Amino acid sequence: MNNSEFYIGWQPQAPERLAKHSQSIVIILFLLIAGVGTSLALLQKRFSTARFEFGQLTEVKGIYQSFPVPALKVFTGNDAFGNSSFITMPLVGYGKSGAEGVIAQLEKNYRFSFDNHEITVKGTLLYSDGKTLLQIDQHDHPLVKVREAPVYGRKATIAELGTVKLTGEVLDPKCYFGVMKPGHGKPHRDCAIRCIEGGMSPVFYVRNKNGEANYYLLLDEAGTKMNSELKDYIAEPVWLEARAVQYDDWIVLYVRRGSIRRTGGLSWFKVKDGDISCGKPNGSLE
Amino acid sequence: MSASYTAVGWNRQKKIYDWVIAGLCTAYLTLFALLTLIFNDQVTLETLIIRSTSTLAVLLLHIILAIGPLCRLNNKCLPLLYNRRHLGVTMFSMALIHGVFSLFQFHALGNVNPLVSLFISNTNYSSLPAFPFQALGFFALFIFFVMAVTSHDFWLHNLSPGIWKTLHMFVYLAYFLVVMHVMLGVIQYENNPVLVIMIFTGMAALTVLHLRAAFREHRTDSQQFSKQLEGFVCVCDVQDIENGRAKIFCIDKERIAVYRHEDRMYAIHNVCKHQGGPLGEGKIIDGCITCPWHGYQYLPQNGQSPPPFKEKVSTYDVKLIENKVWLNPIPFAEGTEREGALIKN
Ligand code: HEM
Ligand code: FES
Repeated sequence: MNNSEFYIGWQPQAPERLAKHSQSIVIILFLLIAGVGTSLALLQKRFSTARFEFGQLTEVKGIYQSFPVPALKVFTGNDAFGNSSFITMPLVGYGKSGAEGVIAQLEKNYRFSFDNHEITVKGTLLYSDGKTLLQIDQHDHPLVKVREAPVYGRKATIAELGTVKLTGEVLDPKCYFGVMKPGHGKPHRDCAIRCIEGGMSPVFYVRNKNGEANYYLLLDEAGTKMNSELKDYIAEPVWLEARAVQYDDWIVLYVRRGSIRRTGGLSWFKVKDGDISCGKPNGSLE
Repeated sequence: MSASYTAVGWNRQKKIYDWVIAGLCTAYLTLFALLTLIFNDQVTLETLIIRSTSTLAVLLLHIILAIGPLCRLNNKCLPLLYNRRHLGVTMFSMALIHGVFSLFQFHALGNVNPLVSLFISNTNYSSLPAFPFQALGFFALFIFFVMAVTSHDFWLHNLSPGIWKTLHMFVYLAYFLVVMHVMLGVIQYENNPVLVIMIFTGMAALTVLHLRAAFREHRTDSQQFSKQLEGFVCVCDVQDIENGRAKIFCIDKERIAVYRHEDRMYAIHNVCKHQGGPLGEGKIIDGCITCPWHGYQYLPQNGQSPPPFKEKVSTYDVKLIENKVWLNPIPFAEGTEREGALIKN
């Protein structure tokens, strides 16, 4: 820079060569911004098609069952043999909480347990990948109707599937099946921990050998909630051993005590989506 | 320039600078949002905000950290430095939007306060893959916050430039925290290596720039002056210094700027009282040595800022013997009048 080229911001006008240089810098910065913005935006992993019908309340009628997780059995019609078919819609609460608190409050008001009673509730649906859940929030006054006497008297179709060893990821179902994108994996870990600590029923997500996703409900050996034991193993690849039992359209894993362990390592990029959270299952149910 | 902090005011260059920042940010956010909505349309609004602002903040952080060494390597880049504070505050605002949205999204509506949740949800501090990366982001954001609120000259004067400078060196710690926040966070989830490549490229570029600038300074600083006479050191020829300009010499670890102004040579301490800018790379404007960084001014004959300003730097004795410039590296008290050395034609 020669003597005439010095310029300081409070002077009215920059010398021409310096102004040109600054213009080139600005152009380079715009190109940098465009390049970085385009590649980062385009190369994000695809978001799932999960839906949370935010702000939209739907009335759902079904039989309430508190086991294995608080859920509604919703009648969906008769199959070819005339048997009624049901889907199981796990219930979740508002924000990062399970549905048990809301149900317990309602049961207290009505002074009887809703288990196996037909109830009609209004709540917010969330669904993805063949699974549907319902959020019930006490601010929405969710209970529309409850039949006092147990109806149908229907028992779930239960099938013992034996012992399984699986690698997968512990999810909070509310975020994964609807509310958040991404609703699993490392970025979502803290939130999943908060949801599961808040009473949400944990779900185990496994990809089978064909790359298809399978989802399981998790309980401990004794069939009770194991939310707090799972805290350190959420949202990352873990291995576990469990007794698998099918209850209608959900499989419950009764996790063997102390069997759960971390399998994932550090990774700076993943070759395949399937390897992200699950690795290869050691045993597969389907 | 402590008499008035509005002395520099909102001049034309600052306005252009701010418009460029606004343009860059708008362009980035719009592009990111549009491309995501077109090609990955299942995104939620929260994620779009969280990701566009965070990545923009990191990009701005790289630009901010590159400006210092770029200016030392090429003084044509100095206009970038003039208003770097606004770039810093913009970067902080983007990071703040990202942090606040993340805090709401991932921690609100739970069974504990979101800020508590940030620290007690994931406590796997002993595992790298499971490491609580959000806490790293929080501490980086905290550092940026302290820097943003103390960035005004008001704080510079109240904290003293030394403390202020030390405080602002924490930006490198914050940078490291952000890199780890990304490496142990979203990168553990994404399939594509693009973000990793970008972060590594950014780190490499910043390292090379800093090393090159340091190397160049080291070269100037390690210049040896063999001829000495009664405490004076022979530094250069008279014609080596242009009128209105200076040369910097490092003697006994102190950098001294020797200025030529009209028919005299003067010497003052090279370090500007504002943020330590190199006064010897400035120029004499309206009879005052003008710092190349933000334009603080000092009179060559006494190292004092013209009234009403109160900054003062040390002065030194210079003498000319034949065609040679001789400098005495023992400083006079800040603001001491020295008559300089007369250049005979
Ligand atoms: C309270 C402070 C912070 C919190 C709670 C936080 C939280 C998060 C979370 C949860 C993610 C993953 C989001 C996702 O993509 O799903 C993330 C990613 C990221 N964060 Fe932060 N962060 C904080 C501060 C910062 C700061 C200060 C910076 C840098 C200026 C930063 C830069 C990034 C970047 C570049 C990513 C990767 C891109 C993205 O996924 O958004 N974060 N942060
Ligand atoms: S360092 Fe800011 S004016 Fe000198």
